[in-house]
Amino acid sequence: MDGIVRVVFQNFELKSTSPIIRTNAGEEMSRRGSSSNPCDLLKKIKEFTRCLLEDLRRGRSPSVTLNRYRIYCTDPSGKCCCSSDLHMGKEIVSLQKECHAYRLDVLLRVLLIIQQLLQENRHGSKRDIYYMHPAVFSEQAVVDRAINDICILLECSRHNLNVVAVGKGLVMGWLKFFEAGKKFDCINSPSKAHPVPVFVEEVEGIVSVAQYILIVEKEAVFQRLADDRFCDTNNCIVITGRGYPDVPTRRFLRLLIENLCLPVYCLVDCDPYGFDILTTYRFGSMQMAYDAKFLRVPEIRWLGAFPSDSKKYGLPERCLLPLTAGDMKKAEAMLLRCYLQREAPKWRSELEMMMQRGVKFEIEALSASSISFLAEKYIPSKIQGGGYI
Amino acid sequence: MEDFCKSSLFYSDQHLCYAEILPPSEVRARIEVAVLNFLRTLISPNPSISSLPLINRRSNNRRVSHGLLTDVSSIFLSHSFCARSLMKANATKAFVRVWKVMEICIELLVHEKKVTQRELFYKLLCSSPDYFTSQLQVNKTIQGQCPTGHDVVAFLRCSRYSLGIMASSRGALIGRLFLQEPNQEIVDCSTCGSSGHAITGDLNSLENLVIKSDARYIIVVEKHAIFQRLAEDRIFNQIPSIIITAKGYPDIATRVLLHRLTRALPDLPIFALVDWNPSGLAILCTFKFGSITMGLEAYKYACNVRWLGMRGCDLHLIPEQSFIPLKPWDLQIAQSLMSSEMLQENYREELTLMVQSGQRAEIESLHFHGYDFLGKYIATKIVQSDYI
Repeated sequence: MDGIVRVVFQNFELKSTSPIIRTNAGEEMSRRGSSSNPCDLLKKIKEFTRCLLEDLRRGRSPSVTLNRYRIYCTDPSGKCCCSSDLHMGKEIVSLQKECHAYRLDVLLRVLLIIQQLLQENRHGSKRDIYYMHPAVFSEQAVVDRAINDICILLECSRHNLNVVAVGKGLVMGWLKFFEAGKKFDCINSPSKAHPVPVFVEEVEGIVSVAQYILIVEKEAVFQRLADDRFCDTNNCIVITGRGYPDVPTRRFLRLLIENLCLPVYCLVDCDPYGFDILTTYRFGSMQMAYDAKFLRVPEIRWLGAFPSDSKKYGLPERCLLPLTAGDMKKAEAMLLRCYLQREAPKWRSELEMMMQRGVKFEIEALSASSISFLAEKYIPSKIQGGGYI
Repeated sequence: MEDFCKSSLFYSDQHLCYAEILPPSEVRARIEVAVLNFLRTLISPNPSISSLPLINRRSNNRRVSHGLLTDVSSIFLSHSFCARSLMKANATKAFVRVWKVMEICIELLVHEKKVTQRELFYKLLCSSPDYFTSQLQVNKTIQGQCPTGHDVVAFLRCSRYSLGIMASSRGALIGRLFLQEPNQEIVDCSTCGSSGHAITGDLNSLENLVIKSDARYIIVVEKHAIFQRLAEDRIFNQIPSIIITAKGYPDIATRVLLHRLTRALPDLPIFALVDWNPSGLAILCTFKFGSITMGLEAYKYACNVRWLGMRGCDLHLIPEQSFIPLKPWDLQIAQSLMSSEMLQENYREELTLMVQSGQRAEIESLHFHGYDFLGKYIATKIVQSDYI
């Protein structure tokens, strides 16, 4: 308690605004203030600490209310409200419990660092923040949770706090855009890969003559398409998140869809992990549930690979690998997700079929008979023939 | 100058074995020669197919060549062949695997196509199921770490890339540099945004790059996160430099580009900024000497990289809680580094310190002193010539 009071008094400026006093800092924050540019965020931070200080001044134990979000639950009745974007209950963090006191201490310290980042117009990573107070932050996860809490509290996304990670995604195809004044002209050489920009808010001037966007799960498949010059002969944009997509890739994808309004197809391995990546693109991830609204792509269509494709495209039996115990466990857990039954029943039945057959296969297996099969036959025929769900 | 450098190594080049990056026609020719040689052995009056000359990849066959005039050391495998009897079933299978891979490679080369190792695995699984059961087997057949030398790279003396196996390039660079690929626009690498300029995986075009720069140093960075931090702070303008990263363990494209940069800009010293742990040192050594395990590809792309940080002398800058215990994997790497004779004495001391303390530290821990500290740290070290 002392530690927090010291931090709060030493480091924050006081700015009194409205005479209305709230006992609970979080309550006031939950009034919808949708602007998240740095000035507004700095104001919100000041307001938040003002409320905390008021509580302390009046001898009341300060507490913070955080909204809880989730994107799915395991309720099979279909009557849950996970599909709405409202929060599912609140969590109150107060100084009454010792573990909460630590959590509040961490939150305030991280908030201080973020305030500094916003004021100096600088960006930092989660790891950098962890190393700033290694004596207090026992591990990285503690900092990650504080950052998530702050996003919920200030009703913004992580990038608004100037907390960024390294970019993982790659893009190629018939696309031209500007990032902070620099031109990315993929149209000149459509089969050349470019990294997906990390500062997506600085992307502008998006121009494209593509007819669709194709997402691939793995870098190896992306490379295969680049090597076969897929984009030279097919009018499209290809993106990969290289596994589970990171936030910049998902934001960039959303930006492209909002600007270009093109159909989006997703190509993943026919295994539980591929399916999980597919659902991450479509529905969002639990970790970033508070931001799911801005990150998910409900328009995405599953192009492949389906369990039924192995027979349809003559995949040799030897390329079908057995599902491991871990795979089965993951698939069973995914079947319970409420959003599948409600919004993607066809996807759910394909997953069930995969489990029944007990085998999985990778996209690379489709190249076993002929190297260019994927680029020349599989993808174009599926898109033209409507072989997606 | 180039020829002079080559000839200044006292082991004459003709006896060195190294894997070159060759055009497809050359690799096809080598495969055809290998087939003819094998057939000749089979039909000779005393067919000695029970033994075949293969390059010995054992550690006692690795030599270090220390350049006397160029300050560049590299590792290579010398012409010590080992004879392998084909009377043992396992040896025969391993030998046949090499031929199966070459069969697919020649098909790829004829059509000028490339594959990934995973795709190669599936092709082999379907065409020769009795010989290939796992991805690991395929990888070892292409470029083995086992001492038998039953691998395609050693057999044909050409790099994996030349066989038609796709190599992805992870590397990026940024800084005071103008690059021009043949028939392309000039790229100004100081205006690339914080993700930098991506290094292409096309090794041929890297060899033909036109390079122009007014930088005074080249800084090699281990991690992508640090690269992004330095790029955002535009360190390359305060310290006129080129910053390059392979985002982890260096791939061949990044090493080729670094080598090209040193050849084009020979007066620029190269500094490495790695984490204080055995993996960081291993990454530095790969840039410096070549890959420890892949002796054949090392030779050509070694560069004189100096260890700027983090080193034992910097540990006082970091609070105690920022240290992390070493994992078993780190200790394994430390052991294999220690056992290689090319590690110079001062590096060996640092490694011993790491292992004895049982801890490691990341460069990000320097952020304890604020975001500006990293730039100042690098500048101070360069100015004080504090590198080994």
